[in-house]
Amino acid sequence: MGNATAGAHTPETFEQLLTPLLDKAFGLALNLLGDRAEAEDAVQEAALLAFKNFKSFEPGTNFKAWFFRILVNWCFGRHRQRKRRPETVEYEDVPPLYLYEQTRAAGMQRAGADPVGEVIDRLDATQVRSAIEALPEEFRAVAALYFLEDSTYQEIASVLDVPVGTVRSRLHRARRLLQRRLWSLAVDAGLVSAPGGEVA
Amino acid sequence: MTGVDRLSCEEAFRRLDDYLDRELSADEMRLVREHLEVCVVCATEFGFERGVIERVRDKLSRIDVSPDLKRRIALALDKAARGEA
Repeated sequence: MGNATAGAHTPETFEQLLTPLLDKAFGLALNLLGDRAEAEDAVQEAALLAFKNFKSFEPGTNFKAWFFRILVNWCFGRHRQRKRRPETVEYEDVPPLYLYEQTRAAGMQRAGADPVGEVIDRLDATQVRSAIEALPEEFRAVAALYFLEDSTYQEIASVLDVPVGTVRSRLHRARRLLQRRLWSLAVDAGLVSAPGGEVA
Repeated sequence: MTGVDRLSCEEAFRRLDDYLDRELSADEMRLVREHLEVCVVCATEFGFERGVIERVRDKLSRIDVSPDLKRRIALALDKAARGEA
């Protein structure tokens, strides 16, 4: 790493670029893996992998997108190892405004009520993360990045190395799938009552 | 300009996600905003969806990496830089 043309590739530069990203990186890994210990391992392993391949990073380009791409790929590899069974969950379409319609049918949209809060605020962060983790892989990364911070579709596309249109379509679908999962979690936890005893 | 003066509920609804994510052009953002100013049903639905995004984001954003992990990473990088890893 120490040659004259690679002055921007020193260990010090790497640490300077990496350190401000660690909180977000950990949040991203946690959203993808749902487990603190595994998320910590993921960030550490991805940091090491990125460090070893730092020469392939082009100075002046987006380090965050580059590092997050490495981290997402590492998490996906870990997730695949852990879940040997094929993903068959929740691929069918979910209608738009799913939570809105469910809370309306459950009589939760009274004047002055806060139906969104009555569902989501009563779930803990672990439950919300589990809803993201349960998404099929192609939607999970988009959702994990989207809910981590206020990223643009272009920023998410840069991390995942896919076209912006792909991010848009996956994200729109992921949001619906996530809403159904959140509602289901809230019903199962007895936080809300499904209208007419419907299984969410 | 988009050549459209105002949006129907259906046209506004088609733009819901992109509007909430500010991924529309300035003209389209304005058209949706103007629709929401006069349509209480759409405004309620859009507000609900925005609330879902904000609440989920809020739930997931309160995360700090542990000092121990920062230490572990610094150590691992130091070992790697010295060719031990």
